[in-house]
Amino acid sequence: MSRTVLVFTEQKDGRLRHVTYESLTAACRVAEGGEVVAVLFGSRQSEQVEEVGKYGASRVYVVSHDDLHQYTPDAYKQAMLQIIGEVDPDAIIMGHTAIGKDVAPRVAARLGLGLITDCTDVCTDSGEVIGVRPIYAGKAFQKKKFIGKKSFVTIRANNIELQENAQTPAVIPFDVTIKDVRSVVRKVIRRSASGVDLSEANVIVSGGRGVKSAEGFRPLQELADVLGGAVGASRGACDAGYCDYALQIGQTGKVVTPELYIACGISGAIQHLAGMSRSKIVVAINKDPEAPIFQVADYGIVGDLFQVVPKLTEAFKRALEEK
Amino acid sequence: MKIWVCIKQTFDTEEKIVIENGKVDEKDAEFIINPYDEYAIEEALQLRDELGGEVTVITVGPDRAENALRTALAMGADKAALIQDPSLVGDECVLARMLAEAIRREGFDLILGGNFAVDSGSGQVAIRLAEELDIPHIGSVTGLNVNGRQAIAKRDAEGDTEAVESTLPVLITAQQGLNEPRYPSLPGIMRAKRKPLERLSAQDLGLSDSLKTKTLIIEEYLPPEKEAGKILEGDLDQQVQELVEALCGKGLSFN
Amino acid sequence: MALKNKAVGAHFLIEETEKSSLVTPEDFSDEQRMFAETTRSFIEKEVVPKDEAIESLDYGLTVNLIRKAGELGLVAADVPEAYGGLGADKVSSTLITESLAKGSSFSLSVSAHSGIGTLPIVFFGNDAQKKKYLPDLASGTKIAAYCLTEPSSGSDALSAKTTAKRSKDGKYYILNGEKQFITNAGFADIFIVYAKIEGKDFTTFIVERTMEGVSLGPEEKKMGIKGSSTRPVILENVKVPAGNLLGEAGKGHVIAFNILNIGRFKLAAGVLGSAKEAIRLSATFANERTQFKKLISSFPLIRRKLADMNVRTYTLESMVYRTSGLIDGALKDLDYSSSDIGWQSAKGIAEYAIECSINKVFGSETLDFVADEGLQIHGGYGFTKDYKIERIYRDSRINRIFEGTNEINRLVVMSTLQKKAVKGELPLLEKANTLKDEIEDLLENRPTDGFLKQETYLVSAAKKLFLLVLGLAYRKYGLNLQKEQQLLSHLSDLVIQIYAMESVLLRTMKRLEKLGSEKAENGLDMMRLAIFEGFDKTESLVKEALAHLEEGEALIRRLASVQKIAYRLPIDAIRLKGRIGMRVAEASRYIV
Repeated sequence: MSRTVLVFTEQKDGRLRHVTYESLTAACRVAEGGEVVAVLFGSRQSEQVEEVGKYGASRVYVVSHDDLHQYTPDAYKQAMLQIIGEVDPDAIIMGHTAIGKDVAPRVAARLGLGLITDCTDVCTDSGEVIGVRPIYAGKAFQKKKFIGKKSFVTIRANNIELQENAQTPAVIPFDVTIKDVRSVVRKVIRRSASGVDLSEANVIVSGGRGVKSAEGFRPLQELADVLGGAVGASRGACDAGYCDYALQIGQTGKVVTPELYIACGISGAIQHLAGMSRSKIVVAINKDPEAPIFQVADYGIVGDLFQVVPKLTEAFKRALEEK
Repeated sequence: MKIWVCIKQTFDTEEKIVIENGKVDEKDAEFIINPYDEYAIEEALQLRDELGGEVTVITVGPDRAENALRTALAMGADKAALIQDPSLVGDECVLARMLAEAIRREGFDLILGGNFAVDSGSGQVAIRLAEELDIPHIGSVTGLNVNGRQAIAKRDAEGDTEAVESTLPVLITAQQGLNEPRYPSLPGIMRAKRKPLERLSAQDLGLSDSLKTKTLIIEEYLPPEKEAGKILEGDLDQQVQELVEALCGKGLSFN
Repeated sequence: MALKNKAVGAHFLIEETEKSSLVTPEDFSDEQRMFAETTRSFIEKEVVPKDEAIESLDYGLTVNLIRKAGELGLVAADVPEAYGGLGADKVSSTLITESLAKGSSFSLSVSAHSGIGTLPIVFFGNDAQKKKYLPDLASGTKIAAYCLTEPSSGSDALSAKTTAKRSKDGKYYILNGEKQFITNAGFADIFIVYAKIEGKDFTTFIVERTMEGVSLGPEEKKMGIKGSSTRPVILENVKVPAGNLLGEAGKGHVIAFNILNIGRFKLAAGVLGSAKEAIRLSATFANERTQFKKLISSFPLIRRKLADMNVRTYTLESMVYRTSGLIDGALKDLDYSSSDIGWQSAKGIAEYAIECSINKVFGSETLDFVADEGLQIHGGYGFTKDYKIERIYRDSRINRIFEGTNEINRLVVMSTLQKKAVKGELPLLEKANTLKDEIEDLLENRPTDGFLKQETYLVSAAKKLFLLVLGLAYRKYGLNLQKEQQLLSHLSDLVIQIYAMESVLLRTMKRLEKLGSEKAENGLDMMRLAIFEGFDKTESLVKEALAHLEEGEALIRRLASVQKIAYRLPIDAIRLKGRIGMRVAEASRYIV
């Protein structure tokens, strides 16, 4: 059964986010020979049109409106509803991002649609669209399907392997009408840290109680900077006041799935494991060879993180320069 | 101020997950209030104490969910309502409609909920509820002030903080960092017994026919166990070198 | 029978107890569970993270945390509502005490404050004293300490040397003396002090820290509970207003012994919580530690240890909540509007003085056992301060000493029993007279097989054996029996074993009825082990006592009769412990 699949893309700092490519890859699968339609919010950028074409979009709606520069649920909802009305897709896909998770439920509610959020995989089986999603913070998984013809999913970043499917998309400028925006963003304070989001970072260097102080996070930040990653922390480190709770990874903090997770001085309490054990590769550095973190690690170094981490930073620097 | 808090009773986050017949087994589990909903309750109580009014906690769930409501009452909420889902398989669409109907009947100025529930992790019900009631929402909030009919919130957008303004009525979803939830005090627990707790069915809400689930769970399962890793050996420089080579060989994308 | 309608302590020795009358953890109300949940959350989130600082004896921190606990109502359970407390039932207050236990030193400070520190005023204060002191004590804004022990009077508490001299105008008492090993001394505001008026009338006073002449000696360098303050309190010409005399002059011993009863019982509730924590730590460790390429929790000998720890803790839990239910039963019909309600309540609790001592002895010895085996599971790590089991092991040791040593408590069990018999409250001697018939009855109706029949039989048999030994001991020593401490200790141990076995039997049967055989299975396994091991101890105590009481032909006859009564088919303890140990390892904590 071929489908028309609508993908809402997302940009950050003028670049398409990785999850957008994942959404397009998933869309091609779900389309089953049908058409993938992408929506670009913001100014017309030929480079971006080309990018979404590379991953399978054959039509691109370019939507430009002053009220869409900064996300608000009211403005985005209205724009999305108008495009959905225009395209009449069989399936809608977007990233489970700060925007996607915030607006998708509103749009779904308005249209009376089912929505499967936070999918780590999207596939089809016997003519049905199926979303695979972690539940209980990744301790288990759930397969869900839709009742009714239309499907709507949001997908979690860094889970779907990208697949190119080059198209030369038709570009369609599309005007939307936006009125009565009831919530207004007055100010945006960018996160002060080096700017890589924990939830979207490819690499996370994370510290636990073993880091011993706020100052002790510095070598971790240096390693993260070299790898273009972000710094995270265990609950132990947050509770001890070494860092902000915003960095907490675990059952009650953020759940992350980076490609590389480097746990420094983290013992690996079950609470923490729930937040990071789905990382593709886990490296553990800990003085205690019995620390449970080693049981989920792909590579372990038994040793003092204050010796190991700086050496690792230097070695990566050299390796990446050679590349 | 009429403040509502939508809560969910969830698995204790410490619990081990057991799968039975393609479903998470809840038989012997301990249940708690979803931790994000605790932030919502705390915020509601603080706002009520500051601005006056009353706090009603509401949930959809089986009989055991009454314990979660009692806990919220013990924390200081004034009233509670338990909606019994007739089908017990309703998805977020169904839940939001039931909540919307119950809340609409009583009136509302402010509605709070958790950012998402730690069990299903869907994060939909509260936001759908805002749409059902046709009011604005501010999601993932880490700070909230209410001045007259205006709400000013700090919203966590993947690490950035947005200062968002909206008029009441508004729905807020609570993110970690919003506050430090109180414990139900022992005198509070004793008082909770005497506070009103209303039970509602879908029929009471006049909804039984219009509640159709839009999604279905096919199965639930445990993730495959990871294979044992490798503890590196040799002197530290060798270990570091081996690790970097191994990682660079994996085709990871470092930017 | 009339006894059944009246709360009578030690009643269990001569009568069968109806299982429905027993309070068990399975009977907790939602409200009681919530009390426990708040207590546990508070300890987990506020106290445990500050463990290290508390252990280094940071007074300010402990005081602060007691205040916070006070705000939540955690120190107010036993204070009547009229004076700012919760006026909660004893099952609730026991559950709160148990749930505090994970805070080790901190929970000791709290219990010393809310238990032996505050309760003298709750029970024996007049209205003015209650109004003045209880609201602050119930909210934790003021902290209390209990001053009974002196350098030369420990177990012999009534030999205190502290004196109180009445001033000429009768407005004051002048106190002089030194109290020792005073928990909370370093930061307490209120001291309950025992002194002898004119050197003879043992009397209780409420002394405030700010009164002139109150000073403190240095902190003791203790083996355990290092985060609690233990200092001498020195009284030098302290002018205590006459209105601060607690109860009546010359009635200090009544207050002291009543407060000890409650203190003993609360101690048992506390060690129950600690034992569960030790099991959790040990099972968790066993699930993390790998040796011979396997988790050590998979080894049968480790599982056996976990099983033994869990079974004893289950037994203790059954005893503690049964006792709290008995005490509630004694308190529920009192007239709470009467002015001497405090005295009446104390009397109600004193009715169960024997049960309180039983709990104290069995509880403290259980925790010592559990901590020791738990440390053993940890191996070398358990011997280091990096692992909390090391501290539980050290902290545990004091429990066999304070609130009356276990030796004193064993003697208390028998002396109290004797008093009850003499007063006619407990027809022990009558029972001893009809014992022969009863034993014949018992043997005649002895079950050959059947589910739980043997266990039920053994508990009844243990009671008969106790009465047999008691009768013979009286025949030989008469009133001089009170000098035969070894024999008394044996008799007391029989009483303790009977209470333990019966509590675990009745609770398990009640669970079975309530939950069905599948969910009750672990409890059933544990109950069978507890009863068979308890009966083994019973039999050996009886034999040793008989060998002392009889000789020659008579001894041989007696032993044959004991043999006959005590005959039982052994159970497969190895299999049962393997099963229980596996369940504890899987759950990583104490499980029923």
